[in-house]
Amino acid sequence: MSRFLTLLHKEIIELMRNGKWIWLPVVLMIIGISQPLTSYYMPQILDMAGNLPEGASITIPTPTGEEVLSGALSQYGTIGTLLFVLATMNVIAQERQNGSITLVMVRPVNEWQYLGSKTVAQLALLLLSLLLSYCLTWYYTNLLFTSVDWKLMVSSLVIYCFWVLFVVSVTIFVGTILQHNGGIAGVSILFLSLISLLTSLLPKFMEWSPGNIRGEAMKLLVEKQWTESAWVVIGSTTILSLLLFIAGVLVLKRYKHY
Amino acid sequence: MALLGPNGAGKTTTLQMLARMLTPDSGSIQFKGYAQKDYRPLIGFLPQHPSFFNWMTAKEFLSFAGKLSSIPKSELNGRVEEVLTFVSLEEAMTKKISGFSGGMKQRLGLAQALLHKPKLLILDEPVSALDPKGRRDFLQLIEVLKQNMTVLFSTHILHDAEQICDEVLILQDGCLKWKGSLPSLRKEFDLLPIKVQTEEPMNGIIEQLEIIEAYEYIDAKTVKVRLPEHVHPNELLQELINRNKAVTHFEMMHDSLEDAYMKVVRQ
Repeated sequence: MSRFLTLLHKEIIELMRNGKWIWLPVVLMIIGISQPLTSYYMPQILDMAGNLPEGASITIPTPTGEEVLSGALSQYGTIGTLLFVLATMNVIAQERQNGSITLVMVRPVNEWQYLGSKTVAQLALLLLSLLLSYCLTWYYTNLLFTSVDWKLMVSSLVIYCFWVLFVVSVTIFVGTILQHNGGIAGVSILFLSLISLLTSLLPKFMEWSPGNIRGEAMKLLVEKQWTESAWVVIGSTTILSLLLFIAGVLVLKRYKHY
Repeated sequence: MALLGPNGAGKTTTLQMLARMLTPDSGSIQFKGYAQKDYRPLIGFLPQHPSFFNWMTAKEFLSFAGKLSSIPKSELNGRVEEVLTFVSLEEAMTKKISGFSGGMKQRLGLAQALLHKPKLLILDEPVSALDPKGRRDFLQLIEVLKQNMTVLFSTHILHDAEQICDEVLILQDGCLKWKGSLPSLRKEFDLLPIKVQTEEPMNGIIEQLEIIEAYEYIDAKTVKVRLPEHVHPNELLQELINRNKAVTHFEMMHDSLEDAYMKVVRQ
């Protein structure tokens, strides 16, 4: 346990020193608040963009607060997922490429501790950034649109966190197999989009799919109550992430060469 | 103990397998008298090109490594300072590793390998990247260390091995070609350790001398010879003087270690 904590401490310090604790929350916050802001100023933006004939009138129905928050979730789903993958892709590959993994593995560290510390540190970073960003978005939404109950906000965030868990698990697992950043990011994103695509193509068979998480979080915002399908998706995502983690450890154990 | 061999002989591979950095294709490695299969607490390993977490300072890195090796907290700080002093890095201990020179990194690598007082210290070409002074300093450190632990290091420079080793292993194409102490290697392969030069040509004389076991002419006036073990070199000198030869050069050659090494490798 103390070895795990030592590794975790090192990971978190490393994330601080290389600036991920700064840029990731900032970028996520910008992505988040851009949603309520652009929704609010849309008429003005269209006006300024020009090219409309004199006297043209556009009426855009003012969205409710819940709709704006769903919009923000969908932003996290696209650009956010890309960011999560990019932030996570090099955690193992980098240490293997520059050889610093050797001086860790030459000590009595086992694969669980190593991979666990990486996963937990990465999750801590991403989830905290997401929390900050989402709270800020919620604040602006309440300011500019109808206010959303904080319980709804928190519940939708909790559901959404499982998507982050899944993204991190997939990327770290791919990271144990492949050695190059580009390959890791490419394969992870391909896999994640394949899951989302299959989910929308075969809705009947993919009710359990992690690709439904975003939909469930949005549904919660709109219907204002937890549904059973949300629990199914959360359960299956947790299990899948756990399996991916175990598979990652097994891959590490089978390494012939670190 | 030194592991010698030409490039590509498998020195690094062997050391990495011993350090459990590389899984052998077949067979297993065990530490005699140590029940657990994972013997990593007993060894210290310095790779050929050690790379650290460059964002850490030397002290942070050693504390991190020490915690991973379960050194108790109360001892850790003292131990870190002790090894840093040993490798003379105490002034650089709060500096970032990214600014270290090659020699400093090598010494920090040695420090991390020593930190947990291993029984076996494995060093992969520890001096090949160092300048002459750094190399001498490093060899002196190994000299001190071998009092307390077994030091196994690889090199392709015979001179280094000769200075500090009690035993050598010669490896080629992944096979152990020879093992033993350096004097016995010299004895076994060193064919012509005495070089004699006279003013007059020696043709015909050397052949007559019964005390000579083997000889080889370099030119008419210079010859390399080997004497049987019971014959003192002075007897050869005596014989030459008796025959009125003016000896201008008489040398016991010690740097013929290289020849012996080449013979082992060519076998």
